[in-house]
Amino acid sequence: MTALRTMGFFAVMLALQLSHFQALVIFAVVISVAFGFLGRRQPKERLKYILWTLFLFLLIGVGIGWAMYPFSH
Amino acid sequence: MAEETTAPAPVSRARDSKHDTIALLVGAAGWLVPGLGHALLKMWGRAIICFVTVGVLVWVGAGMRGNLFTSRGNDAFDSLGYIADLGTGSFYLVARSLETNGPDVSHADGDYGTRFLATAGVFNLLAALHAYEAARGCKA
Repeated sequence: MTALRTMGFFAVMLALQLSHFQALVIFAVVISVAFGFLGRRQPKERLKYILWTLFLFLLIGVGIGWAMYPFSH
Repeated sequence: MAEETTAPAPVSRARDSKHDTIALLVGAAGWLVPGLGHALLKMWGRAIICFVTVGVLVWVGAGMRGNLFTSRGNDAFDSLGYIADLGTGSFYLVARSLETNGPDVSHADGDYGTRFLATAGVFNLLAALHAYEAARGCKA
């Protein structure tokens, strides 16, 4: 019961109001790091993979956003 | 003679069967508690990353009031969403507890939250499969 109340507290505390870009960045960072750790063993390879994946996530995300821009008006 | 040399020994087969059972248990543990599968294999870095990743995605997804699908779906997409959400294992219940006000997909935030929750589930299934493969001795 206490645990549920604590979770409720966290839920209230985390009434998130994120912009589209902030949501994209959080998603890209978390998933890039996770993929880097799952997919590569060596620290240097991991870092390279994480940075490359993060860059592609952001580039493609922003690119798709701009590609949809003309249709939003 | 050739058949005798290629047939696996009973001891080896029993060992393989035990190995597969352990691998299945590791995979199931990884699904139930994100990162537990890797922790059982003493892959601490990956275990922590899996736990934190699924935890953050569920927390943010629930905080954005994403839709957490139930078994009472109306169509195939709802059922697929339910399967994806169930992929988070025990964190499905955590997400339910966090969403005290229920989902709100009338805004983009809620829609994003739905994707965060589904991604958490699919990622956890991938991590559990990774742990299963590692337990079987495949390169991971």
